[in-house]
Amino acid sequence: MRFRNVVLAALPTVLLFFFALHASVKSQQQEQAPRPFREYPGVEYENFPIPPDAGRQAEWVFARFMYRGIRYKNWTIDYPRSDRHFAEAVRRLTRVDARSVEQPVAAEDGDDIYNWPWLYAVEVGHWDLTDLEAAKLRDYLLRGGFFMCDDFHGSWEWEVFTASMKRVFPDRPIVDIPDNDPIFHTVYDLDDRYQVPGAQYLYTGRTYEKDGYEARWRGIYDDKGRLMVAICHNMDLGDSWEHADEPEYPEKYSALGFRIGVNYLVYAMTH
Amino acid sequence: MFELLFKYPPDVFTRGAFMLLGSWPVWVLTALIVAAAIGLGWLLWSRRPGRPGALQLGRASILWLLQTALVALLLLLLWQPAMSVSTLKPQQNVVAVVIDDSSSMAVADANGTRKDAAIALLRGGLLDSLQKRFVVRLYRAGAEATRIDKLDQLTARQPATHLGESLKTVAADSATLPIGALILLSDGADNTGGIDRGTVAQLREHRLPVNTIGFGREQMDKDIELANADLPVRTLANSRMEALVTIRQHGFGGSHTRITVRDAGKTLASRDVVLRDAPSQTETVLLDAGHEGVRDLRISIDTLKGEESSANNQVTRVLYVDPGPRRVLYVEGEPRWEFKFIRRAVEDDKQLQLVSMLRTTQNKIYRQGVSSPEELQDGFPTKPEDLFAYQGLILGSVEAAYFSPAQQEMIRQFVDRRGGGLLFLGGRASLADGGYKQEPFDDLLPVILPSSKSTFVRNMVEADLTASGKDSLICRIEEDPDANADRWSRFPLLANYQDAGNVKPGAVELAQMDVPGHGKLPLLVTQNYGRGRTAVFATGGSWRWKMQQPVGDTSQQTVWRQMIRWLSADTPAQVVASVSQRLLEDDGHLQLRADVRDANYLPACNVDVEARIVAPDGSIETVPLKADNQHSGMYLADWNAPKDGSYIAEITATRPDQNLGRDVITFRREDGIAENFGRTQNRELLEKLAQATGGTYYKPSAARRLGNDISYSEAGISMRETKDLWNMPVVFLAILLLRAAEWLLRRKWGFV
Repeated sequence: MRFRNVVLAALPTVLLFFFALHASVKSQQQEQAPRPFREYPGVEYENFPIPPDAGRQAEWVFARFMYRGIRYKNWTIDYPRSDRHFAEAVRRLTRVDARSVEQPVAAEDGDDIYNWPWLYAVEVGHWDLTDLEAAKLRDYLLRGGFFMCDDFHGSWEWEVFTASMKRVFPDRPIVDIPDNDPIFHTVYDLDDRYQVPGAQYLYTGRTYEKDGYEARWRGIYDDKGRLMVAICHNMDLGDSWEHADEPEYPEKYSALGFRIGVNYLVYAMTH
Repeated sequence: MFELLFKYPPDVFTRGAFMLLGSWPVWVLTALIVAAAIGLGWLLWSRRPGRPGALQLGRASILWLLQTALVALLLLLLWQPAMSVSTLKPQQNVVAVVIDDSSSMAVADANGTRKDAAIALLRGGLLDSLQKRFVVRLYRAGAEATRIDKLDQLTARQPATHLGESLKTVAADSATLPIGALILLSDGADNTGGIDRGTVAQLREHRLPVNTIGFGREQMDKDIELANADLPVRTLANSRMEALVTIRQHGFGGSHTRITVRDAGKTLASRDVVLRDAPSQTETVLLDAGHEGVRDLRISIDTLKGEESSANNQVTRVLYVDPGPRRVLYVEGEPRWEFKFIRRAVEDDKQLQLVSMLRTTQNKIYRQGVSSPEELQDGFPTKPEDLFAYQGLILGSVEAAYFSPAQQEMIRQFVDRRGGGLLFLGGRASLADGGYKQEPFDDLLPVILPSSKSTFVRNMVEADLTASGKDSLICRIEEDPDANADRWSRFPLLANYQDAGNVKPGAVELAQMDVPGHGKLPLLVTQNYGRGRTAVFATGGSWRWKMQQPVGDTSQQTVWRQMIRWLSADTPAQVVASVSQRLLEDDGHLQLRADVRDANYLPACNVDVEARIVAPDGSIETVPLKADNQHSGMYLADWNAPKDGSYIAEITATRPDQNLGRDVITFRREDGIAENFGRTQNRELLEKLAQATGGTYYKPSAARRLGNDISYSEAGISMRETKDLWNMPVVFLAILLLRAAEWLLRRKWGFV
């Protein structure tokens, strides 16, 4: 009888212990787990339809960098239509297991940024990174992450971009990527590249914006000669993905836009 | 005592055959015993409870047993039991007395030197008792046995003891002489590390029992000895490697000492150890192999206060560090993060070249690390010689059906015949999900894959080391095994996992994954297969170990480098050199061997093989190796290392139109060192030798009866003797005891 009483008294403590242990393991896993898919109202799109397979986990996810900008919600330009079109193209053109929906990623979300080794930012001619964002981005790149930025034009936006980028890497130069760099040959041989305009081309007929007459493919290399940052200046690949399904937007720009994107992605997954 | 009761020595019973000399058939004896048992049983049954003078059932049974045993014994004696045994004919047989004359016999124990103790035993009556029955031949054992006429010729100054060679010499004499038995007086110290099977087989063939008498203390009062340091034959430059150091101690249990490994005075590694209360213990010391070349490593343990001898506290081993590189082919079916981070992990490793082919699209392959534009341009190799050019193979998330049946068989031969390493990674087209549960992959895998598909799950899981994994060189991040396990438990979670099924018997599970709802699943499992090795790493998500750890943390890099080095470092080349003994103690004789294969790794015949041996003084000798008639592709040469020091042998194999390759092997000769080690009596060796040849091990105090014991031998000139057993004292004693026991029991129970 006494033994039974002892067992009954100890049972709640034992159960509590195992519950606490289980909860601690669970919480560790939840803490490290990537943030689930989330949507934000964008500058251009709200309530964009979610694909039926949005919940399916995949190897690669279009991670969009939610940086602080000098204009409100600048990071959401083209979002999410451009991201989903590009993910669809990646699925169609490569063997990459791609998620159908993008993932907005913020540097403030603890270690979440390190779960997405490929990161894209748009309109970086209007960004203004916080100290935390700059430090996190530097860490992310040095650990092996890859950052691609796009859709900024002319000398003024270049200055804005480099002002923040210098805070990420004060001592690493931004250089033109030579044609023989592997990034232009991972899937497609892209020796012959041309300026990819944004949707403004449809009503202006110009492939450039502001004083960004010439498309520049630039980057920042790590100590071992691998590109960490791919900078698409004076072009708008995001628009070429976004408007790929619009008959008015010339196919040749979307075709090159996708090819550059695919090459950059496969490079990021191989180097 | 035994002979007092049984009349004859134990050898009569162990070597002889039991027989009944009576002329009546044995079945009559059996029938009579059964009849007597029934009769006695009936008599006791007639006095069962309820009858006058009744006995209880238990008591009746005991009396029945005693009476039946007595009757059976008496009946057996009527059939005249006897032993038939072979005995050596007096004065017609030779007994070889072999006395160890090596310098270890000069070690002084409590009652003088071992040599003096042996001489005193022989002169104290043993030799006389032998000479009364046999012709005695005296031998002294050193590097080999030589005959002596007098015991005074013993010096205990022979630099080496080769007991096996000495016994072979004596056994060879038995071909012309009627040697009936062999007596070995020794402390069991042997420079070759033991007696080989061939010698034992030869002695058994001649039916020569070796009776051994052991001299010397069986353990030192206070001593610590570095008994052995085991290093790999060769290792890849800049590898982590293990030195297995065996320490023997007595009287220092619980003390602390330090193992140190030095290269030309520079300390490469050291480790503190606590001496256990066990005769010997083996400790692992990890060290970096460093740059390529040959180096003499000095391994030592600290001298402890009060040690009897410090000369046995250090050994020297010669190590060949292979410059490499090793080429590993990585086949990946889809771009994924694991691929990138594995490539980055080994990028700076000069000894590893990771050649990869990645399917980027439906019909495009992206190649990295190729040495020429032609390499892998047509995809996965279709010819064995192309695949066999690599030392390791990694299969990522690529379905088994990607490989043709011929390529699949080639992968098997890559491991089995070529001796390569094969690593399977987890992924959505890997293992069970990739259709690998079929020949030849299910045979190659170190796990039994589950029958179901959908085993790859993109949920994060924790990785933990198993007990084997803590010590594994693949998983080693921290030196201390427990700290290493702790480090692994703090790794970031893996991005995904795959159920690899169950670990095969004989495979080693190094790491597991803690999967909620499924318990522990194998993560890293290895096994040896044929000449090579295979492994499974059941995830494609270890890239998080890099992305989720601070910049500068190299643990992911370390694990992958070690994994790929394990995969490829021991893969043999077309020429594999070896020697019969890497450490020659006082005797320079050795055999050089070369296993030579062609480009398809089939044994190569008609090859010119020669060894270029560089001696410690820099002199060079070229030795041709001849084809071994017993084994195709094997080439041999006997050689003698003339001086002490480290030797380097480069063995090359060529055909008139073709260079098949080369290999380097190192060995070392040490003079005057061996006798510092194993200063206690090696009783185990002497006992095993006696047991294997049908002899007996004796302590010196019990050896005086040896002269009588060895009479019963089948070697030499023998005759069969029949020894009656009916008049053994033990028989009469048994009869008396049986009757007395019955009488006493009846008295006790009141039935007299």
